[in-house]
Amino acid sequence: MSVSRRLETFVAFSAEVTAFTPTEVWGTGLTQRYLDTVDGVVGTAMTDALLNAFDRITTQSAGERTAKLRQTVFGCEQLGPVARAVVKLWYIGTWYALPAAWQERFGPAAQDGTFVPTPDAYVEGLLWSAIGAHPPGAKAQGFGSWQFPPGIPKF
Amino acid sequence: MTTHDITSIGLLHRQLFKAMQLEHATAPPYISALYSIHPGDNADAAQILRAVAVEEMLHLTIAANVMNAVGGTVDFTVAGFVPSYPTVLPDGEHDFEVGLGPFGKDALETYLKIERPAMAPRGQARHVQIKGGARHFISHPHDQTLRYYSIGEFYAAIRDGIVYLESEAKAKGKTIFTGDRAKQATAEYYYSGGGRLWPVFDVDSACRAIDLVIEQGEGELKQIFGAEGEIAHYYRFDQLQKGRYYQIGDQPGQPTGREIHVNWEAVWPIAVNLKLNKIPEKSELHAAVADFNKAYREFLAFLTRAFNGEPKLLLEAVPRMFEFRNRMQQLIRNPLPGGDCNAAPTYEI
Repeated sequence: MSVSRRLETFVAFSAEVTAFTPTEVWGTGLTQRYLDTVDGVVGTAMTDALLNAFDRITTQSAGERTAKLRQTVFGCEQLGPVARAVVKLWYIGTWYALPAAWQERFGPAAQDGTFVPTPDAYVEGLLWSAIGAHPPGAKAQGFGSWQFPPGIPKF
Repeated sequence: MTTHDITSIGLLHRQLFKAMQLEHATAPPYISALYSIHPGDNADAAQILRAVAVEEMLHLTIAANVMNAVGGTVDFTVAGFVPSYPTVLPDGEHDFEVGLGPFGKDALETYLKIERPAMAPRGQARHVQIKGGARHFISHPHDQTLRYYSIGEFYAAIRDGIVYLESEAKAKGKTIFTGDRAKQATAEYYYSGGGRLWPVFDVDSACRAIDLVIEQGEGELKQIFGAEGEIAHYYRFDQLQKGRYYQIGDQPGQPTGREIHVNWEAVWPIAVNLKLNKIPEKSELHAAVADFNKAYREFLAFLTRAFNGEPKLLLEAVPRMFEFRNRMQQLIRNPLPGGDCNAAPTYEI
């Protein structure tokens, strides 16, 4: 997989597992940094295994895609915990340490642990869009904005 | 040519419309460049761009206030109010274009041209012959072959026109300040926006408002700092080029303040003067850019209402503008398919 194709696949995977659109995922500005984060923790070979497993799901039907994702990614003892850590990373901006059982079986992942990859991670967490809020202390909405009804995000 | 360029109320309205057009036209280029800067990097450059962009919004508000004061119509929705970028703005000897693109050395050169200080304090020396027949925003009101040397001189002619027309009207027992006071955007509706704002209802309040625009923008007669100690836009940008801040007492071109480090690489590579038709149709990104343009068009209509008797709407405009920031940042981080450039709002209204 070429470098750019790899990043595109990571974005497509991230969009699908977070239920955000690729435009929104790119819009965080964190795509490359998060791919580097995953590579750094589990190594490029395992990241490739995850991306390839996702890439092999070619069906367009949403129901079938969900079922296939469950079977081949989230249900996989090796890839499942990594995929779940990626979802958490996108929403919360924190990489959560992989479970001890995973470490024992598939580790050691030397760089693993619970950490924030970059200060922007908090600001760009998808959690804020999901709940229709802005990250407190960042992306200010302007003085007096609180006197107007909040904008409800589209889903 | 008469000493006064603006010899009728119709010409005054026309020049004030150009003023609003001009002030607005500078905002999208500055803001595009501002949000092209990676967050956390280039804090000095980002702060300077932001301060200038916010003051351009103040200048737009001031121009609208003067327009309303002299009985003109403020309408940001008329066709052609938003230019198609790249667009021509004034310059001394050469024509140059202002466009939408990332922050960088070329962009900085353009900003310095936009904000170039006035050369001539009075009279005919304000004008420069137009070369090459390009259309200019700030062309002379009734001689299409002339234009002003700088934006500052364009405003100085408006100021002179107001003084002249009002003295003529007064001689007949009339006034040019026939506008509805309720349409004035004042400090209670507009704050933290780059400077003070006051109602315009006579020659004095109008001239003070215009002088503020001149002083904040280009600095008259090569003054780095204005009367209130605020640094003019030209010198703000000059600091980035020189890599050093100005401090009180400095000579133009020789700042001696704190050093500024500019990281020219820490910028999203947004496509220069992107057009919607360059983005694959039916793609998600196409829809997102089109959606931004639509929201911006609606916002201009909203602002038009604010300047036509509903100044309270300006308070609501603030969160809407911050929302534009979020949307712009999102677009600017999206790569365009098959290229090395990123997307950006196209401002095709």
